[in-house]
Amino acid sequence: MNNKEYDELIKKTIVEEDVSKSMLVSFISGGFIGLIGQILTEVFMKMLNCTLSDAYLFTFMTFILIGSILTGLGVFDKILSICKCGLIVPSTGFANTMTSSAMDAKSEGFIKGIGATIFKLTGSIILYGVVFGIIFGFIRSMVL
Amino acid sequence: MTNHYNNVYINNKYSLLSSTMYNPIVKENTDKCINDYYMQEKTIELAESKYQETTIKGLLTKSKLLPNDIDILISGDLQNQILSSTLASSKFKIPTLGIYSACASFVEGLIIGSTFINKNDNKKVIVTTSSHNLVSEKQFRFPVEYGAVRKRVNTCTATGSISILLSNIKSNIKVESSTIGFVTQTNHKDANDMGSAMAPACAEVLYKHLIETNRKPDYYDLILTGDLGEYGTKIMKAYFKKKSNYDLKNVIDSGSIFYKEENVYAGASGPACLPLTFFDYILKEKKYKKILLIATGSMHSVISTNLKVPIPAISHAISLEVSY
Repeated sequence: MNNKEYDELIKKTIVEEDVSKSMLVSFISGGFIGLIGQILTEVFMKMLNCTLSDAYLFTFMTFILIGSILTGLGVFDKILSICKCGLIVPSTGFANTMTSSAMDAKSEGFIKGIGATIFKLTGSIILYGVVFGIIFGFIRSMVL
Repeated sequence: MTNHYNNVYINNKYSLLSSTMYNPIVKENTDKCINDYYMQEKTIELAESKYQETTIKGLLTKSKLLPNDIDILISGDLQNQILSSTLASSKFKIPTLGIYSACASFVEGLIIGSTFINKNDNKKVIVTTSSHNLVSEKQFRFPVEYGAVRKRVNTCTATGSISILLSNIKSNIKVESSTIGFVTQTNHKDANDMGSAMAPACAEVLYKHLIETNRKPDYYDLILTGDLGEYGTKIMKAYFKKKSNYDLKNVIDSGSIFYKEENVYAGASGPACLPLTFFDYILKEKKYKKILLIATGSMHSVISTNLKVPIPAISHAISLEVSY
């Protein structure tokens, strides 16, 4: 059996999973998280009397805090198996990725363990976030 | 290469199941069953070596032997540079051979041990293997607490360890022959789906074994494969049918039956999965006499996955004759 035939055999045997249900769940849970974020922003603006961009920052930090604490308690992955991508795409997913990497390396020490591996998976988000931030910021300044 | 043995027997075993997650079928029959990922150790890596230490110690006590009586200890596991095997064997001062062929390590150990005993009489060999769910998650997949959405083709590594004693003293399990398989490589690159990567290796070694021993698949009461999983078993059967025109009816995949709970992805995996299923479930059923064990190993690493190298897979077969 050559490689091409074998690929066809795999394709025939493994039935593609139906993603429509997961997509619907993600849509609802993601929307729900967005709603909470909006409420938090409004509350921060009213209570702390700050600007909109500051309130966004506080909301972002709150999500990271909640995501990290839930990961540390070991319940985040259980909630995620119900909520699907609705929890990964917002900053809670970022917090989970970062905290779980740090927890894995905890036993290897603070410098070579936690310090070296905390951004193992999230490093690319940060790097390309900054790179594309610069590119799009530049384009925006040229156009507007 | 097929070897025939005439005086090699499996005398004793000591098994340890360390996680009862998803309710494994071997839960009631193991020598020791705990639900502890740490075993009073600080990290999961050290815990896995403690598992091996426990089974080796347990086996020595069970068969009333001292470490000095054992000639060779052959051990393997899934950690980088087989750390837990070396740490465990450092406690005993038994001459040690460390082996690695991923989930096929146990059968590889059996083949090496049997060859030693067949050539030199009065040797005693211990073959040990272990796997730890969290260690392999950390090593091959994602951090333990990372909430990755998993696919149906994923497998869940079994947690536990097993040690067996091989010698030329007669017992009810005779090692009859063995076939060493070759490494196969197809276009398959998805490390989530190890079943599809290992199926050709499994079918090839089975075909080779049957040709070299002049047997037909129904010579065996049972062909117990390692950890192909639900889909891998189907692919293996289809592959074997295309190669030899035989319909395999007597195949059971230990990975697929390992968890009693349904829908645990495609099943279990890990070097401990096949021996635990064989010794603590298949043998306790007392149904099969001629059994062919085929362990399958997917030899990918994190680097090979990142380099997008097609997954190499290996498989070894060993034929056992059991009398009850």
